[in-house]
Amino acid sequence: MKMIRHNLAIRFTHWVTALSIFVLLFTGFGQMPMYRRYNVDTLPGLKWSSDFLITLNIHYIAAAILIFISLYYLAYLLFTKRWDILPKKGDVKESLIIMAAMVGLAKEPDNDKFLAEQRLAFAVTAFSVLILIITGLLKVYKNLPMVSFSAKTIFWLAQLHNLFTFILLFSIIIHLLAFLYKDNRFLVPSMFTGKISRSYVEQRHKLWLARIEGEQVPANVVVEVLDDNINTVAKEENEEIIEEIDDIMEKTNEAEGIEL
Amino acid sequence: MAITRRMFLKRGALSGVAAASIVTGSKKAAASITATDEYGSIIDLTKCDGCINYDRPFCLAACKDKNKDNFPEPEKPIMDYWPQTKHEDWSDKRDLTDRLTPYNWIYVQHLEVEYQGKKIQVHVPRRCMHCDNPACAGLCPFGVNNKMPEGPVIIDTDICMGGAKCRDVCPWEIPQRQAGVGLYKKIAPKFAGGGVMYKCDMCYDLILKGEEPACVGVCPQNAIMFGPKKEMQEYARNWAKTNQGYIYGDVENGGTSTFYLSSLPFTAINKAIKEQEVDGKPGRPTMEVGIENYLEEPASLAKGLVIAPLAGVMAAGLTAYKIMQGGAGDEDDQA
Repeated sequence: MKMIRHNLAIRFTHWVTALSIFVLLFTGFGQMPMYRRYNVDTLPGLKWSSDFLITLNIHYIAAAILIFISLYYLAYLLFTKRWDILPKKGDVKESLIIMAAMVGLAKEPDNDKFLAEQRLAFAVTAFSVLILIITGLLKVYKNLPMVSFSAKTIFWLAQLHNLFTFILLFSIIIHLLAFLYKDNRFLVPSMFTGKISRSYVEQRHKLWLARIEGEQVPANVVVEVLDDNINTVAKEENEEIIEEIDDIMEKTNEAEGIEL
Repeated sequence: MAITRRMFLKRGALSGVAAASIVTGSKKAAASITATDEYGSIIDLTKCDGCINYDRPFCLAACKDKNKDNFPEPEKPIMDYWPQTKHEDWSDKRDLTDRLTPYNWIYVQHLEVEYQGKKIQVHVPRRCMHCDNPACAGLCPFGVNNKMPEGPVIIDTDICMGGAKCRDVCPWEIPQRQAGVGLYKKIAPKFAGGGVMYKCDMCYDLILKGEEPACVGVCPQNAIMFGPKKEMQEYARNWAKTNQGYIYGDVENGGTSTFYLSSLPFTAINKAIKEQEVDGKPGRPTMEVGIENYLEEPASLAKGLVIAPLAGVMAAGLTAYKIMQGGAGDEDDQA
């Protein structure tokens, strides 16, 4: 049986982020003047890569897409209050245990939706993206006519932007290397289809499963499930039943102190 | 920087010399520089005779002398720019004066310009124009090329990696590269970096001392003037109006701090420059009239960066709303 791990909004966020960062990295390195020197522009289809104006324009467009998707994701987190991806206290220690477990030196702890090391990696990646967006926007701003920054500011903006490019690149490489470890590979298809096998979740993400299917199932989930089941019932009956269910739910929730 | 400006202010107040005297190009002009943020210069082609009766132009000689300690001293042998099999080395051609090199930051091009059926001798001193929004500085990937508040565009030769991008994005390909010197030698000289870029720095050290650049005062024809940029610009525009002449550098590349004055149109001068082209390599800049700034196109794209975050928040609001409405395909909906 399959379970939903990543909804469409998350898959959209992930792939738009990945694509825009890939384009930003390629065109950003193109600003370094290196594609002509290292003959990248002699490769088929890459003649444009050594044209700074082309790569700069693409860099700006991809940056706009990255800013769009970053704000989309930030607002998504704020609106839905799903903080599973953010690091928690004790994550550093727990990641060390997970890494020890990878080589058979420890038993892997029960995981929530994300592993402790995933939460930490997310923090590093997100922080790098944040610094890159801020320094990048300032770099764009300073290049507008009539805007001037001090030599020192310009120097440090460039250094920070370049440094965090390498940190981000490093974190992406780690992210991809994680899939060398077999257990992690089960997660890959879920970023495409959104679904993951239930048995895998039962084995590795007990805390997550308990959270979404635990004893304290939020009332609205029950209503949705029931909603689906009664789709086939005639419309009038349907409404009657919904009213009945609502009544029951209200009473149960009141008794249990759950807010709808 | 603030101290410097105050210094200028003081000088200006003490000297009390009228601004008009600034444009005389005399040695005294330096003392009369008033408080301002930005300096500029005028190169009057109706006055410049190219010092044809001398060994070399005075401005060029003064520049070479003033900057003799600033020229690169590469260690040899110099490595090629791997995987290329070449490198840029001008150290054996230090005496070259017919083009810009790392050892020659100003040169005078002697032209025969054809205009209205006549052939007219024109001599054009060329060097960095010190643009208002210099693409060379804006696009330096290491942030070591800067437009200073006083006007000059300055490359920090201690940190420059010599990628030569500044030369590629400059409409006149002014900065020139010397291999075998600079920071890259200490990192991975074979694989990354190419040397250091050199060009006119408007004699920034002299400006900070309240003096004018070396090339200005030595001109026997007083063809180069130096002073507050606004006054230079005003002078140039008035001159063009009263003499029905032409200016180069006022609008080019989005505006510069150098104003060439000519009684011949620059399209004719540019044509003559192009006819003299020898090897198509940088160092003998053209004078394309109205040439556009490299940063103009990206600047119009920059607006998109403001719209992007707003669009992101709005789209997220919509998504969140759908999820809260119990949209299918969500993790809370494990039917």
